[in-house]
Amino acid sequence: MAALFKKDWFGLLIVVIVSGLAIAVLKPAFLSPFNLYVLMVSISYMLIIALAQMIIIAIGQMNLSVGAIGGLVAISFSGLMEVQQVSVPVAVLIGLIIGMLCGFLNGYITVRSGISAFIITLATLYIFKGINLGITEAEPFYNIPETVKNFGNAKIGNTPIPFLIIIPIIITFLMWIFMNRTETGRHMLAYGNSVQSAELIGISSSKVVITAHVISGFLAAIAGMLVVCRLQLGTPNIGDSWLLPSFAAPVIGGAILAGGKVDVIATSLGVLIVAIISQALVIFKIDPFFVQIFLGVMILLAVFVNRYREYKQEARRKIFSSE
Amino acid sequence: MNKKIPNFIYTNQFGLLCLVLIFTLIFSTSTDGFTSRFNIFALSRVIAIDIMIGLAMMVVILTGGLNLALGAIGVCAAMFGGWCMEVLGIPIIPSILLMLGMGSFLGWINGIITVKTGVHSFVVTLATMSIYFGFMTMLTEAEAFRRLPELFTDFGSAKLFNKYVSPLLLVSVATCFALFYLFRFTDIGRKLIAAGANPEAAELSGISVNRMFIYCHMLSGFLGALAAILLTTRIGAAIPSMAGQLGMDWLLPAFLAPVIGGTLLSGGKLSVFGTMLGAVLVTLLTNGLYLLDVGEFWIRFFLGIILLLAVLLDRTREYFTLKSVIVS
Repeated sequence: MAALFKKDWFGLLIVVIVSGLAIAVLKPAFLSPFNLYVLMVSISYMLIIALAQMIIIAIGQMNLSVGAIGGLVAISFSGLMEVQQVSVPVAVLIGLIIGMLCGFLNGYITVRSGISAFIITLATLYIFKGINLGITEAEPFYNIPETVKNFGNAKIGNTPIPFLIIIPIIITFLMWIFMNRTETGRHMLAYGNSVQSAELIGISSSKVVITAHVISGFLAAIAGMLVVCRLQLGTPNIGDSWLLPSFAAPVIGGAILAGGKVDVIATSLGVLIVAIISQALVIFKIDPFFVQIFLGVMILLAVFVNRYREYKQEARRKIFSSE
Repeated sequence: MNKKIPNFIYTNQFGLLCLVLIFTLIFSTSTDGFTSRFNIFALSRVIAIDIMIGLAMMVVILTGGLNLALGAIGVCAAMFGGWCMEVLGIPIIPSILLMLGMGSFLGWINGIITVKTGVHSFVVTLATMSIYFGFMTMLTEAEAFRRLPELFTDFGSAKLFNKYVSPLLLVSVATCFALFYLFRFTDIGRKLIAAGANPEAAELSGISVNRMFIYCHMLSGFLGALAAILLTTRIGAAIPSMAGQLGMDWLLPAFLAPVIGGTLLSGGKLSVFGTMLGAVLVTLLTNGLYLLDVGEFWIRFFLGIILLLAVLLDRTREYFTLKSVIVS
C-alpha cells in the first residue's frame, strides 16, 4: 500500500475516482448500464490509440500518422471483406500487416534520413490518407460480415461490459510487460532519454526506432479495426480526429515529449480521465464543441502540473545535495 | 565576383527556381489551359495565401518550435473580422487592424505558455488549437458571415496586369520583402535569428530569448491572420470550415513551403524567399496534377510524396555541400 502512494500515477488514480464519484453523485444516470457501456466502448479504442502514440513518445519522437494508418487499415479491412470476399481472420491478418508496414515505413525513413519524425509522419499522413481516399473515393464500405458486426455489439453475459474491451485490456497488459520487463522496451526508454548515451552503450538506434514505429502501426491497425466493428461500417474518415486524443492521454499521464519517460498505467489513467469527463459533458448536456475546448485545457493543465512537479523535485534534489 | 555565382548555384533557392521553371514548362506543354489567363489568375490567388501560411509557420520554426494552432488562429481572426464588419458595422480598415490584432494576441498566448512552461510548443499549440477552434465554433454557432462589405470582397476578385494577376499576390510578395528586410537588416530580426540558432549563447550575449520567442509566436499569429484576411476576400465570406476541421488543412502547405524552402526545423535558419518559392512550387504541382486529371482523391497522396522527396533531397544536398566543404 505504501508503495502505491509513491507511484507517479497515484494522483491520476485519485482524479479518476473522485471525478467518477462526483459525477455519479450529481447525475446518477452516469452509472446506468447503457452509459457505462458507451463509456467502456469509447475507452476501448481510445486506449489503443493512446498506446500507439505513447510508444513513439517514449523514444522522443511523435507520430502524426497514427490516425491515417488506422483509417487506411479500417478501409482495407472492410474493403477486403466486402469487395474481395476475404474471410474475417485473413482480413484481420492483412490489416495488421498493412499497419505494421506503414509503421515500418515511418521508422525506416526516419532512421535512414535522420529527419525529424514529425515531418516524415506528416508526409506519410498525407500519403496514407491519400491512398485511403484514392481507393474509396470517399465512399464507405457498408456490407460488413455479420460476425464482425456481432463482435462489435456483443456484451459479456448480462453485464454492460462490451466484448470489445477485452482486446485493449490484453494489449495494455502486454504493453506494460513490454515497456517494463523486456530488454527492447527498456532500450526504447534509454534511447528516448538520451540518444547519445544509448548509442554509447551499444543500443542500435535503427532497431529501437523501427521497432517502436512498427508497434505503433500495429496498434493503430487494431484501433482502426475496432472502430470498424463498433461503427459496423468502414468509412474513410476513421482516424481523422485521433490526433488530439492520442497526445492528450499520454501527456495527461505525465509523459514528457522529450522522450524517455512514459508509463503504460499512467497513460491508461489519462485515457480514463479524458473518457469520463467527456462523457460527463455529454450527460450534463454541455455543448459538444465544449469537449474540444475541454481537451485542450486538460492538456495545458497537465503540462503545468508536470512542470510544477519537476520544479519541486529539482528543489528537493538541491536541498539534498547541499547537505 | 566569380565566387558569387557558384555560391548562388549551390543554394536551395536556385534549385527551387529551376524546379519551378521545369514544372512550368512541363505543365504548359502537356496540359491545355495551364497558361490560360483564367488559370494563371486562379494560381496567383492560391499562391498568395500559401505563401502567407508558409511564412507564418516559418517564423515559429525559426525558434525550433512549431505552431499547430496556425489554422485555428486564422479561422478565429477571419470570423472575428466577419463579425466586426457584418454585425458591428466597423469600417474595413479598422476591422482589418482588429483581425491582425486578434491573430497576434492568440499567437502571444501560445508564446507566453510555451516560454513559461518550457514545454515543447507542439503540445502547447496542440492544446490551444482545440481551445481556439472550440471557442470559435461555440461563439459563432458554426454560422458563416456572408454579407461582408463589397469593397472588401472586391479586392479578392480584382485582376491586375492585363487580368493575369490577383492583387492578393502583391500583398504576399510585399510581406516577403518586409520580412526579408526585418530578418536581414534590423536589429530585432537578427536577435530573433540568434535566439533561435543558439538560445544559450544568445542569452549570454544579452538577448532576452524568451521575449524573442514570444515575438516569433506573435508574428506567426499576425501572419496567420493576414493569410486569413486574404482567404476571406478570396472566398467572399468568413466561414468556420475555411481551414478544415480544427484548421488542420493549413498544416500541409504551412510545413511544405518552409521545409522545401530550406528553413531548418531545428531552428535558427530561415529563408524568406525559399519559403516563397516553396509555396509557388507546391501550388504549381497541385494545380498541374489537377489539370493532368490525376483525380482529386490522389492529390493528397502526391503532396505527401512531394514533401517526403523534398526533405530527402534537401538532406542529400546538405550532405554533398558539407562534403565539398570538407574536401576543399
